[in-house]
Amino acid sequence: MLTTRRLVLTHMWVAFATFSVAIILGVWQMWARSPLRAPFLTAENYFNSVTMHGVSMGYVLTTFFIMGFGYFVAETALKRPLPGKTWAWAAFWMGILGVLMAVLAIVTNNATVLFTFYPPLTGSPWFYIGLVLVVVASWIWCGLMIVAMAQWKRANLGEPVPLAMFATVANAVMWLWTTIGVAAELLFQVIPAAFGWIHTVDVGLSRTLFSWTLHAIVYFWLIPAYIAFYTMAPREAGGRLYSDTMGRLTFVLFLLYSLPVGMHHLFMDPEHSTGFKFVQAALTFLVSVPTFLTVFTISASMELAARLRGGTGVFGWIKALPWKNPMTLATGLAFFMLWFGGGGGLINMSYGMNAMIHNTSWVTAHFHLIFGGTVVIMYFAIAYSIWPHLTGWTFRSPGRLRLQLWLWAVGMMVMTIPWHYLGLQGQWRRVATFDYSDPMIAGWGPWVIVSLIGGLILLASAALFIVNLLPPHRKWARQPGPTEPYRYALAAHPPRRVPEVLNGFTLWNLLVALLMLAAYGWPILQFFLTDAPEAIVHRIGG
Amino acid sequence: MASPDPHNTPETEAERRAGRLWARTAVMVVVGFVAVFGVLGFVIIPVAQGAQAGIDPWSAICRAVGVSPGSPAMRQPVSDTPAQPVSNVAWTPAILNTLSGADRATGQRLAQEVCSACHGESGVSPSPNFPHLAGQSAAAIYKQLHDYRSGARFNEQMTPVAEALSEQELAAIAAYYAEASDDLRLGTRNPLPDERLQRLVSEGDPSRGIPACNACHARGAGGPIETPMINGQHAAYLEAQLTAYANGGRRNDIYQRMRTISAALTEQERRELAAYYQGTR
Repeated sequence: MLTTRRLVLTHMWVAFATFSVAIILGVWQMWARSPLRAPFLTAENYFNSVTMHGVSMGYVLTTFFIMGFGYFVAETALKRPLPGKTWAWAAFWMGILGVLMAVLAIVTNNATVLFTFYPPLTGSPWFYIGLVLVVVASWIWCGLMIVAMAQWKRANLGEPVPLAMFATVANAVMWLWTTIGVAAELLFQVIPAAFGWIHTVDVGLSRTLFSWTLHAIVYFWLIPAYIAFYTMAPREAGGRLYSDTMGRLTFVLFLLYSLPVGMHHLFMDPEHSTGFKFVQAALTFLVSVPTFLTVFTISASMELAARLRGGTGVFGWIKALPWKNPMTLATGLAFFMLWFGGGGGLINMSYGMNAMIHNTSWVTAHFHLIFGGTVVIMYFAIAYSIWPHLTGWTFRSPGRLRLQLWLWAVGMMVMTIPWHYLGLQGQWRRVATFDYSDPMIAGWGPWVIVSLIGGLILLASAALFIVNLLPPHRKWARQPGPTEPYRYALAAHPPRRVPEVLNGFTLWNLLVALLMLAAYGWPILQFFLTDAPEAIVHRIGG
Repeated sequence: MASPDPHNTPETEAERRAGRLWARTAVMVVVGFVAVFGVLGFVIIPVAQGAQAGIDPWSAICRAVGVSPGSPAMRQPVSDTPAQPVSNVAWTPAILNTLSGADRATGQRLAQEVCSACHGESGVSPSPNFPHLAGQSAAAIYKQLHDYRSGARFNEQMTPVAEALSEQELAAIAAYYAEASDDLRLGTRNPLPDERLQRLVSEGDPSRGIPACNACHARGAGGPIETPMINGQHAAYLEAQLTAYANGGRRNDIYQRMRTISAALTEQERRELAAYYQGTR
């Protein structure tokens, strides 16, 4: 039995419980924006709900899931007990305290600032301090992951670090870089403003610092899904990973190119020059390299599995895959959504085309399809895969797991395709209500109702997910689980030794520093050299 | 650990060479991409775009890097039309510091000498002809006093009073009244029976371009800092101001916000809203 069993389960249940509340808010928000009259609808309630939904899904679900999953990988992939379990529990409770502070600030109407930190609008300082505690908790997790890998390497000199752990540490290292931007913004600008210590704030600088974090944070959420693609799905499909080196290269490229690209969130902002926007747009295109590497490698791995199972033909092998296996099914559905979400993302990051979809529903559609779709469906699949090892009991009716995954993918497509269309029509994001009697926008109404239906399908899927996870905890509804330890996918040619650069992060950290200096050096320095006018701080809740 | 591991053999020279090749290639590729993108973004594209817009290459490069303002792809727009501000109050850090550091003692003395006869000692005015100052922020009071002084707003009684005082004195009075009435809440709790009016207050009427009154005027709503709190204010005063905005008699609202809104409201709505706010805490 795993020694981190309780630690992992507690993290995961916090993540999924928060998720199940936040999804109800999401459905209500779609209802509010639709032509149907929603109950409790005031602008204040709407923005409160968006704040809570965003904080829950973006900061609580992700952080707690990733921390829990990291502890699981550290013990099962390295086959050693997790070092510093007391620290892990301390981080957990610090995170819980932070979440409670933030939630309390939101429900008392003192932090209706949405989940992005864009001054001069500021909420209660306790909202920000709560979220800082969550981030500090995740830093402790990063430290534990790095220490776990370092100890393993010392004990296994010259051996390649198992890919699942290498990727987890890549994520931890990236997260440490990522949070520098938002931490600086919160500590030096937003929290002093929220306390009333400063009356004006340089919003150009705060938007720039937030953009530092804004793209890479999404890759922090995404990497667990990629860990599942590379190290879990090939085995569950009955095959092997096509290439271990491709995996390492992918995670290294995510580390490199998630960070110096955040300015694509600021294409419409006046505080940066065209040259830097162009360079960061071009660097953003390089993020498609690890994405395509993954599509190729995982497709090849799946083809290996299918042909081992007797699949034939150019595309005929796809039929031979074990689609009844939840992880295989989730991988297929995730890739399907990745095509649409990734395609939309290419429009977002194009310096020129961004102008037509900036701040429209298109953007919301994009990140729901990529994060809510591709990433979260893999969170479900990971939970289904590791739950029997955590609880010691397995699922009695796997058909319900597949139904839940299908509902999620269908709901997400039905919800986000209309959003993409509405974004092109110019529908704003982050607006509480629309006057559909205006002939200019009357045609949007039916599409918003379609996306509300998508939201309801997602709600049904989320409810089923929670119901699915419960039986292993209940005596009357469970089956004895696996007795052997968790196994990750082997590579088709397991690496005997990998170059040191692909077994650690020293070189990559130096390159990240270099890239960040090139991409953000002058754009940040300029705020300290020029005498730009500052904005007056607006505090919510007095 | 003690058993000999078949994998745990020393690194061979070929492996070391392969490792060095990996590192060198990685650095070259990463630096190479940045260099190519940099040359394109800072030199080739701006120089080409600048040539079409009649901008010399050096200026285009400086603009692309961000050391000089403007776009390398177009000329900076020039306007000779002088700005015509409706108010001369700009919320600079200097003014905010003046307000927060204003001398309360002076403010109190001036308030007693000049203001209290009409607006009351703590800002509660005895007559519906004069607005209450209680509950207003220093910024709200200062904005109006300064507008009287600069001529952006006119009133036969207030204009000469404000003109006779310095900006420092106006700030002192504003700070005094904001503090003197800090815990004072005017008006009574008066639930509104009329749902149509309630919608106007909390949601506005998008079909007429009217935002919710409470989007700015509710306590802690986060509107512009000079926004007056109108809860408990005299209905006669509120209605007079809405009417003055609607017919252009009062023009010191930035971006014509209140002129637009007031003109979109009907006369009856203006009267009803004024009565509603007088009766609301």
